[in-house]
Amino acid sequence: MTAGQMKLGAFLWATGHHIAAWRHPKAHVTAGIDIDHYIQLARTAEAAKFDMVFCEDAAGLREANVGIASQTSRSIGFEPISLLSALAAQTSRIGLVSTASTSYNEPYGLARTFLSLDHLSGGRAGWNLVTSASPIEAANFGSTGLRPHADRYERAREFAEVVARLWREKLGSGHDGQSFSVRDPLDLPRSPQGAPVMVQAGASDVGRDLAARTADVVFTAAQTFEEAKAFYDDLKGRMATYGREPDDIKIMPGVAPVVAETEAKAREKYEELQELIPDDVGVALLSSYLSISDLWRYPIDGPLPELPESEGMKSRQALVIEQSRRDNLSIRQLARHFAGARGHWRIVGTAAQVADELQARFEGGAADGFNVMPSYFPGELDAFAKLVVPELQRRGLFRTEYEGRTLRDHLGLKRPA
Amino acid sequence: MDNGATMHLAVSLFAGTADPSPEPEFSRLAGFVQKAEAAGLDMVFLADSVPASSNDAASRQMPFEATTLLAALATVTTRIGLVAAASTIAHQPYNLARRFASLDIISHGRTGWNATMAQNPREAANFSRPEGFSSGDFRRRTGEYIDIVQGLWNGWDADALLFDQSGGRFHDPEKMHLLEHKGEFFSVRGPLNVARSPQDTPVLVLSGLRESDFDIAARTADVILLDDEPIENAQARYDELKRRVAACGRDPDAVRLLMNISLVTNGTAKPTIADSMEKGFRAKNCDGFNILMPAQLSALDDFVDLVLPALRLRGLFRENYRGTILRSHLGLAGGGDQ
Repeated sequence: MTAGQMKLGAFLWATGHHIAAWRHPKAHVTAGIDIDHYIQLARTAEAAKFDMVFCEDAAGLREANVGIASQTSRSIGFEPISLLSALAAQTSRIGLVSTASTSYNEPYGLARTFLSLDHLSGGRAGWNLVTSASPIEAANFGSTGLRPHADRYERAREFAEVVARLWREKLGSGHDGQSFSVRDPLDLPRSPQGAPVMVQAGASDVGRDLAARTADVVFTAAQTFEEAKAFYDDLKGRMATYGREPDDIKIMPGVAPVVAETEAKAREKYEELQELIPDDVGVALLSSYLSISDLWRYPIDGPLPELPESEGMKSRQALVIEQSRRDNLSIRQLARHFAGARGHWRIVGTAAQVADELQARFEGGAADGFNVMPSYFPGELDAFAKLVVPELQRRGLFRTEYEGRTLRDHLGLKRPA
Repeated sequence: MDNGATMHLAVSLFAGTADPSPEPEFSRLAGFVQKAEAAGLDMVFLADSVPASSNDAASRQMPFEATTLLAALATVTTRIGLVAAASTIAHQPYNLARRFASLDIISHGRTGWNATMAQNPREAANFSRPEGFSSGDFRRRTGEYIDIVQGLWNGWDADALLFDQSGGRFHDPEKMHLLEHKGEFFSVRGPLNVARSPQDTPVLVLSGLRESDFDIAARTADVILLDDEPIENAQARYDELKRRVAACGRDPDAVRLLMNISLVTNGTAKPTIADSMEKGFRAKNCDGFNILMPAQLSALDDFVDLVLPALRLRGLFRENYRGTILRSHLGLAGGGDQ
């Protein structure tokens, strides 16, 4: 692997990352029930030499208000582990990473399932650990309310530790802990890459500690270079505490590019998508990021009200509030902005402009790579693969061929003992 | 639909005795399932046992968990049904319902879930339940679990998705239903965040039954797997199960009873096997058979080349698939006319 090259993930999500993607005439509106669509996306990403495809997940609807939910495409889709297992048989090199919750699974079953995906794919699997912040999910698992943030992370820490021991065949005489007990080692052979790759996305203080301790890859949301750099330096700085090298973690912020042959065309493409967002959908999505339910009560062209700190996604909430104050945005403006990129970094422009921005963050020490979030599928993944990837390759910033076979090979990660 | 004149045939893969082969394990299994598909079998069962005894190297299984294996196999086959075992201890009902609904879409309507009524005593200890469940609790819990899974599978009406891009209506909220289940062991609000199955619901296969489980099976199962029994017992059991299916207000033909049998590998077994299958089927011991087989192509070859032609010659097994979904292979309602 070449130290001077960035890592790229293709973040697949049904019709696209833009909330109104499904309404775009060039989006594939039946994506959530069409496996061939996903096979095609994975092959496009593989042909472009992406390190991995990535699927996020929630065990429930995204939106409690059914009227709002019915105006988005996100209430139905494939369950990601079955999806990636199907993709494993239809690809040969690209990494396959899925999200799964530590709140609604058991470590033995999850470790076994991801190890199986790893065997099916010849060592290309990864698990993105989330603790699940949504009360909608909680209601599908016998819970009436969310546990406090700290409890969820304590459970996640124990969960990750047990999974890592199972994968590394270091369970010893079993595990008997606060939240879990496990008696036997896994009944599957050792992973072709030593252990599946462990990914995390939590950005709160306790989330960062957990990542510094156990993660191989961290996905993050950062709007500005300064935020990205501060996060990067903070997380890499925590690694030594756990006896790890800074390079043992690859930090990959999300990026939501809209790319076209000219800047004017890219802007036009972006505006076309923004126009498709219904106001109530935008406000509902913003509300869910802020973990509050009554944002609709406030004037849509007025500022964001003062908000209490929530038990949900702490880091994401702070990000939204900071941006609203910084750019003096109304609720409608903020809603559209976030609906478009979901709080991630948006770049609208030509391939050279997108490459410039990625290069600046990569070479400025604010990212080891990026998780690319196309606005709609397949068109915007195709555009990134066709326009941006060759530009990055010309600059020597991205591989022109896979160097190895496994996801750890692609990412330049050590094989665990 | 079939009229019960021909039998249903499944093969059940078990590993451990597989040929040592330089070929990657998945390719080898894919070859096996493709061969079973070329032979026109209704379905393949994929076992998923967490170890009964961790020291028993001979019983080590294929290096795959069954639902993930099913997804991969679905992409390299087009007609044969694929049924994965998945434990009610290892999965939460919401997660399991999602996994199988998704598998059914991936396979274009060829998926089944094999649930067992028998508790694996070792399994619970790996899932933070070292005390396990009493047999009564396990039975009630499994019944409740199955009801939740089937309820979640019915959460979206067949015409719920509108895909109305210009009108901004992705689905019809009136056609999405909450489950609102609150029971002895679980509470699950729903709905599932996976679309309705191409078969309406994936096929539910129940195995490991004792007589005390018959009512749950009669109420919920599409297929029941039964162990081989002497002919008089098997007939009585068949009649009793069908009677209970009818007592639940279901058509007795809405449940297929398959008998597990072992295949004696080696050509000399041919007449015996075809004869005993014919005898059992004509005596109404069962609606078909599940042939337990090591995941060896040679074992399948014996069955396909020697036994199947004899059954077909006697008009006991169909020549080809009649539909594209597993329910149509099994002659079960559901999934429209696919």
